[in-house]
Amino acid sequence: MGKLCDFFHYQLMSSKSINYQFKKKLNSTLGGEAHSYCYQCGACVGDCPAAMYSVDFNPREILLQALLGDEEALTKKDSPIWNCTNCYTCYERCPQAVRPVEVIIALKNICYQKMTASPEVNQIVESVKASGRTVRITSLSDRRRKELGLGEIKSVPTDELKELFEP
Amino acid sequence: MKYAPFFGCMITVKYPQMEAAVRKTARNLGMELVDLEGFSCCPDPIFFKATDKLTWLTIAARNICIAEEAGLDMVTMCSGCTATLSEANFHLSTEPELKEKVNQRLKRIGREYKGTISVRHIVTVLRDDLGIDRVRESVKRPLGGIKVGIHYGCHLLKPSEIMRVDDPDYPTILEKLFSAIGAEIVHHEKQALCCGKACMSENIPEKMTYDVLTSLKKSGANLMGLICPTCFDEFDLGQIKLSRKYNQDLTIPILYYFQLLGLAQGLSPQEVGLHLHKTKTDQIVEKLAGSN
Ligand code: SF4
Ligand code: SF4
Repeated sequence: MGKLCDFFHYQLMSSKSINYQFKKKLNSTLGGEAHSYCYQCGACVGDCPAAMYSVDFNPREILLQALLGDEEALTKKDSPIWNCTNCYTCYERCPQAVRPVEVIIALKNICYQKMTASPEVNQIVESVKASGRTVRITSLSDRRRKELGLGEIKSVPTDELKELFEP
Repeated sequence: MKYAPFFGCMITVKYPQMEAAVRKTARNLGMELVDLEGFSCCPDPIFFKATDKLTWLTIAARNICIAEEAGLDMVTMCSGCTATLSEANFHLSTEPELKEKVNQRLKRIGREYKGTISVRHIVTVLRDDLGIDRVRESVKRPLGGIKVGIHYGCHLLKPSEIMRVDDPDYPTILEKLFSAIGAEIVHHEKQALCCGKACMSENIPEKMTYDVLTSLKKSGANLMGLICPTCFDEFDLGQIKLSRKYNQDLTIPILYYFQLLGLAQGLSPQEVGLHLHKTKTDQIVEKLAGSN
């Protein structure tokens, strides 16, 4: 109940009104649609490691901002969403099947479109496009494999992958 | 029993000692690994998934198609690959609209996702297909006296509705597998904590790693046993950095399950690539030699 008060409090105190446009966008992003089922119970918080280890991160608060459509807070550069460890504990705990981590990933997808995503994300995509892998093959990796009696690393048909990136 | 192995990027390129250990121990267990052509990155369930879920699902589906065409179930050796491929397989086989969207893209390269095979982390194959007894019987040199502190990692177990491996809060699968090869399991306080690798903050993963390592040290474990190269990546280098930073000995050998299984099956430390780890594993090797 206290959490629900938070919701109204937030609305009263902030000059912002609900941004329905952004909520619609979140609804049309895979995994974002369940955000509206959140009733702010906080069950996702207790065992969240990112919340345990940082006062700035709280999945319930992220969901509250999603309910309000607070685009700026959620998708700005260095948004707190990038501190999620992707552990999926909140997915287990949420009684409303919100799958908070999937909402967070949907928000990350929106950041990627807006070019506010963390730089590591872009590096990974470029690497997969170029070589089909996230880790670069070096002479050291080849030597180690040989030493262990393993075969050469097979190349990936990147021409096939390229076709799959287009919407 | 035949399976299509999916080693992924981390193991293939960065930690081939894990691949060597899996190949050598699987042979001793009577598991036939049939290598298929054309697999790419799973793709990565953290950063790649953060860009565009539909593209992520489509590239994952392409990998699954390769195994479907060969009519083989996929076995994965990394919890990250397991997460991506299992999630894709689950969503595409239960959500027809999503499958249709993915297949529209796959059509461009002459492939089609059908949903005819399963994806399994190799530890579930050991427990469910081969059986714990077969694992136990493959041991020639039981690890008597070696105390293992388990690090479960997240993606083998969660989300449980998709993974369906074990109780995500009270799992037993790894205890069973490590006990079967003669290890003594020691429980430690932070056994279920995430490795933190996916978190983009600098401080959060560092504090988590510190807590996992001190919890292990307190438990009296001789080594950390795990099943994921990404967790390994976080702890192997992490413990050296943190020991320096806190001026405290936080080092503890880390072994991938199949390396330890290999040692128990009589393979040499070189054959399972222990010398390639950053953290020294000499104590383990000496302890093993002493107990036999
Ligand atoms: S997945 Fe993210 S939000 Fe959910 S419990 Fe883990 S760290 Fe917290
Ligand atoms: S996401 Fe789920 S667990 Fe978290 S506050 Fe909302 S309803 Fe509760």
